Amino acid sequence: MTRQIVIGLEVHLQLLTKTKLFCSCSTDYIGHTPNTNVCPVCLAVPGTLPLLNDGAVALASRMGLGLRCTIQNYSTFGRKNYFYADLAKAYQITQYELPVATKGYLDIECDERTKRVRIHHLHLEEDAGKLVHPTADGRLTGAAYSLVDYNRGGVPLTEVVSEPDISTPEEAKEYVVRLRQLARYLDVSDGEMESGSLRVDANISLSNADGSLGTRVEIKNMNSLKALERALEYEISRQNKVLDSGGRIVQETRLWDDAEGVTRSMRNKETASDYRYYPEMDLAPIVIGDEEIEGYKAGMPELPWEKRERFAKSFGLSGEEVSILTEQKELAAYYEAVAAAGAPTARAANWVRMEVLRVLNELGQDISDFLVKPEALAELVTKIENRELSSTIGKEILDLLAREEMTLDQALERTGARAGRMSGDALGELIRRIMSEQPDVVETIKSGQDKKGAKLKFLQGLVMKEARGQADPKETAGLLSKFFAESTK
Amino acid sequence: MKMTVDHDITLKMAKAAQLRVEPENVGQMMNSINDILDFCALVGDLDCEGVPDFTWRMKKRPSRRPDVPENWPDRELFESKAPTFEGEFFKTPRIIAEG
Repeated sequence: MTRQIVIGLEVHLQLLTKTKLFCSCSTDYIGHTPNTNVCPVCLAVPGTLPLLNDGAVALASRMGLGLRCTIQNYSTFGRKNYFYADLAKAYQITQYELPVATKGYLDIECDERTKRVRIHHLHLEEDAGKLVHPTADGRLTGAAYSLVDYNRGGVPLTEVVSEPDISTPEEAKEYVVRLRQLARYLDVSDGEMESGSLRVDANISLSNADGSLGTRVEIKNMNSLKALERALEYEISRQNKVLDSGGRIVQETRLWDDAEGVTRSMRNKETASDYRYYPEMDLAPIVIGDEEIEGYKAGMPELPWEKRERFAKSFGLSGEEVSILTEQKELAAYYEAVAAAGAPTARAANWVRMEVLRVLNELGQDISDFLVKPEALAELVTKIENRELSSTIGKEILDLLAREEMTLDQALERTGARAGRMSGDALGELIRRIMSEQPDVVETIKSGQDKKGAKLKFLQGLVMKEARGQADPKETAGLLSKFFAESTK
Repeated sequence: MKMTVDHDITLKMAKAAQLRVEPENVGQMMNSINDILDFCALVGDLDCEGVPDFTWRMKKRPSRRPDVPENWPDRELFESKAPTFEGEFFKTPRIIAEG
């Protein structure tokens, strides 16, 4: 039987603040010596008190506004009790009953339709430290003790909790992609799953035969978008098999094992009472006045969907073009700068999404590292549009500009493209020279043995190569045919 | 309203508190918790009609701080005070209990 799939996601985003949530230790911990970004507050030395980071409140509010949530004027912190050593206090300071933002939504595109995923709430909480287990594989199993690095302990997180509106693994992936894009547009988080600054937990259930919601299973430890999709696909299959064989689903937390491609039971699912939430009496409530909220609203940048709409209207681009160009706001800004420098918008869009991305990929660079200034690309694209340069030589020039610091003029000189396009007499002269250098090939063609035209194409290729892509392929083919026709008369 | 706990709730509380309680001791623990709850319930009998909230003046702390990093200079102190330290890490029992 077909059961309805119900998925809700909890996405943790590390906020791009300079300091931790409740102390002034730096959040720049990756690659640092363990336990160097620590102080009495994040090590829970008795007698210390937490003091809330204003920057974290601002970023969480901005994310909340991006998700069209209501920012709460009054929210509070609680203690979530917890029995691992990665938080020195033995509890996590988090928001439980009154979170900072509630009731929003995020629209996603899936199967060429728009789906609205409602956001239940967004709250602030502190990250845990890192446990290192002194075993060969770094796993807890078999470890006699644990080693703790508290550099990450206390780094601010915002947790975005969706309603269970997601129906497929693809939708789940798309939701995370859009959420990450929003966080990056807002400069709230870098959203890197590999480094752990974006972490996803999924709650998934299959509906019962009567249509009511089934038992929910939580899945953790999915460290990439691919892992998220695979874990959900596996879990759907596993739950279907259990139910088909007359079994029942146990409410539990399962860990995704990426190497084996399976989820494994970790523990029975906690309920709120297991965490013994308790009001955090060391912290005053977060009071965000209307004036402060208006300030956050005024400071909101253009959001991804707003940029998509503007690009489509202003530059006359297709949905696919807009989608690629606006995927990263830095790439969108680069394209806008190319267009503003006078490049034809359609051709510039094509060059940025195809050639610029190709070169960046080859060089393993981000657009922020790209050596080609927008003005240079605009001039290059304009020359191609005006047929002063062929696309082939244009790509060669772009490759040069991206690898060495030089001006467009220098690149034109270096590639021999300064002379401009080759056509007419100059092209005819080149073709005659190449024909004279290939007498056997010419004879084969003349004698009618080149039935499939492969030899003619070979000659054309030699001409194009010699012309460094500056010859028009159609003109070249036309002139070659004309010369052969003349020589066989 | 007076609250009480029964045998099952007592076991649940013990589990949540990560306490191992032998079956023969559950009754004693349940009675102790109920004694505490009885004592707390006495507070409810107090007549607080017209009694103002208990407040006192104190220097107001800011509720938020600016996002400016500061280094804690005395890291060695943590290392010297930690019960066990190995290399650059705090060393702890591998886990206290499975939830």
